[in-house]
Amino acid sequence: MRRSLTVTVALLLSFATRADAHQLDEYVQASKIAVARDLVRVELRLTPGVKVLSRVLAVIDTNGDGILSPVEQRTYAERVRRDLSLAVDGRLLSLRLVTLGFPDMADMKEGLGEIRMDFEAAVPVGGVDRTLTFENQHLRDVAVYLANALVPQDSAIRIGAQRRSYEQASFTFEYSQTDSSRPLARATGASPASEAAGYFGMVRLGMHHIAEGTDHLLFLLVLLLPAPLAAVAGRWGRYAGARQGAARLLRIVTSFTIGHSLTLAAAASGVVRAPSGIVEVLIALSILVSAVHAMRPIFPGREALVAAGFGLVHGCAFATTIAGYGIDPWHTVLTVLGFNVGIELMQVAILVATVPWLLSLARTTAYAPLRVCGAGAGAVAALGWIGERAFGMANPIGPLVDAAASHGPLLIAALAATALLAEWRVRFVPRGSPFVTRR
Amino acid sequence: MNASMRTVCLALICALPVVARAQSPTARIVRNANAFLATLEPAQKQRVLFAFDDDKQRVRWSNLPNRMVQRAGLSMGELTPAQRSAATKLLASALSPRGFEKVQQIVEGDEVLKRNENNNPMFGRDLFFVSILGTPSETAPWMLQFGGHHLALNITIVGAQGVLTPSLTAAQPALYTENGKTVRPLGAESDKAFALLNSLDSAQRAKAILNYRVADLVLGPGQDGKTIQPEGLKATSMNEGQRAMLVDLIAEWSGIVHESAAAARMAEIMSGLNDTWFAWSGSTTHAEGHAGTAYYRIQGPALVIEYAPQPLGGDPTNHIHTIYRDPTNDYGRKLTSK
Repeated sequence: MRRSLTVTVALLLSFATRADAHQLDEYVQASKIAVARDLVRVELRLTPGVKVLSRVLAVIDTNGDGILSPVEQRTYAERVRRDLSLAVDGRLLSLRLVTLGFPDMADMKEGLGEIRMDFEAAVPVGGVDRTLTFENQHLRDVAVYLANALVPQDSAIRIGAQRRSYEQASFTFEYSQTDSSRPLARATGASPASEAAGYFGMVRLGMHHIAEGTDHLLFLLVLLLPAPLAAVAGRWGRYAGARQGAARLLRIVTSFTIGHSLTLAAAASGVVRAPSGIVEVLIALSILVSAVHAMRPIFPGREALVAAGFGLVHGCAFATTIAGYGIDPWHTVLTVLGFNVGIELMQVAILVATVPWLLSLARTTAYAPLRVCGAGAGAVAALGWIGERAFGMANPIGPLVDAAASHGPLLIAALAATALLAEWRVRFVPRGSPFVTRR
Repeated sequence: MNASMRTVCLALICALPVVARAQSPTARIVRNANAFLATLEPAQKQRVLFAFDDDKQRVRWSNLPNRMVQRAGLSMGELTPAQRSAATKLLASALSPRGFEKVQQIVEGDEVLKRNENNNPMFGRDLFFVSILGTPSETAPWMLQFGGHHLALNITIVGAQGVLTPSLTAAQPALYTENGKTVRPLGAESDKAFALLNSLDSAQRAKAILNYRVADLVLGPGQDGKTIQPEGLKATSMNEGQRAMLVDLIAEWSGIVHESAAAARMAEIMSGLNDTWFAWSGSTTHAEGHAGTAYYRIQGPALVIEYAPQPLGGDPTNHIHTIYRDPTNDYGRKLTSK
């Protein structure tokens, strides 16, 4: 075995004396660093010139059999990994090997071997302005280092000033990650513009969260279904009147908002930490309870209180979305505020789009079947989620709900059409007709 | 004017567009490509032609000699004189006269290297390869490749457009004598860069000159489509004279391709000139009539040029690699991707 390496080396040396037409006497180590959202990727390309190949092979081919076994390749990658260091904002990050490619030994021997190693490191959440430092200490005696930052694919990430040691063994650059759905700026060095961008980013994130969070939406809508009605002897009775209906709706929505704002702020600032598994089950349960209440009043007159209580639960879920965003108390407050404003805006938008039709329909006999059907659908969806979240059961309902939610505007249009049709019947069809009538 | 004269004039006027069309650069290249193909034996033809979407052949180029990176296509050495002359005519029609001259000087330089290396069979003008991807056409995209040691021309032709990126020009020796004349294939690339550097004031130099060593091409063979963060002196911080010198330097690469394609490319480069950077690494002096030892890079929104002297061979001023890219349009992908 030893002999084969000796032969190889002798062969290489004899070759090297002839093939002196290109860069052979150095170990070119080119790093390209790609910064993505919360992720850094290091593309390392190692090309040992023929004249330094024996030096490099001695490190890779540890048993000297002239073959680079998979174990030797991985061991070498680990050696290289240890010779690299990557830090963001002074904090060392652990690099993970994601791809490894070795050329044919024949190519290596001719100085063509390009060893490919790609590493990745997760970057902890931080401010807008960051500093990345990359160091390569691998085989310094023969190395030629090249280190560059790739222009980020993500236009929200921008590379700033770059610094390198003379041999490029050490490479530092600044970058900024301003982003529409990301945390607010760290106080140090963050411009008012980026603070504002961060704030509005959180507002958008909040709106997005409600628009996409079918379970939150469903809870709210189901809870509002019986709001315009008066409970009479354990059943939902007559239309309670526009003024009273609107006031009750407002109280319910406000209570829900107060509830989820409290827990959102508490959880985001780390005061309370609710296990998300339980929270998710409780949210599904809240929909079920609201749905039952929409069929038969189980807590008439105390809807606002129940909304506040379930609001606390929903707030815990919102908090998981923005957990870790706050750098300091000031930014935690701004983050929570921005996110919450976004939630409120989306809630109001949905209410404005649905409540007038609900109030209008509530005055007609068409409302009872609509309310029962809506509540029934909510209950079925809630049961699906409860089974899925609490017991790990398959949930055939979930995709249906998501599909329906993705046609939100269509559903609202159908609701509006129903309301208008009912209104027309009330106005123009004489009493006693078998059609919809005023209750 | 009598009737027969009028008829002749009318015929001439009618023929004008046809003549103009026949003489368009792409038409000329296609005609020469078909003429070259017509000289080939069926077996040769099979070897020179590749599918347009053959991505392996597309990237089969390098600064290294053929023995180290095996090229495909037909080598000049295996062609008959008539075939070789047809291939040369095809290449010349795709390039500007100055571009063709540069390419010939690089090829002849390899012949000189061969002589200097005791007739080393790794080198020489016979080891340059021609290949065609797709079918030569005035409308559909196709590609002409010509290269070997220290040379890679990738010319993507799409209708009237001709894209030279990515291409590699290099030289060893960077200076030689032929028929009593001194030849420097990449001499202007060095002289014009030094002229630009020397025109900079101290504040501009402080920005342009990097304080670290760049030992090799960063975006050499195999680095298609990558864009690194630019550095150095931005063209917006140059005066008009310096900007003109920068453009003149860029033209050493962008002007290799035939004139109308080069003009379109230059218009593109000019439109991004304000975002174009000039960076220098290494010695700021050079011996008159010789290349320097410094690396430099010109980078714009659709442009990367790197010039990297190589220490190998003992004299870095006599061994130079350069790369010419458009990271947004390597191999004309901007024109060919649907």
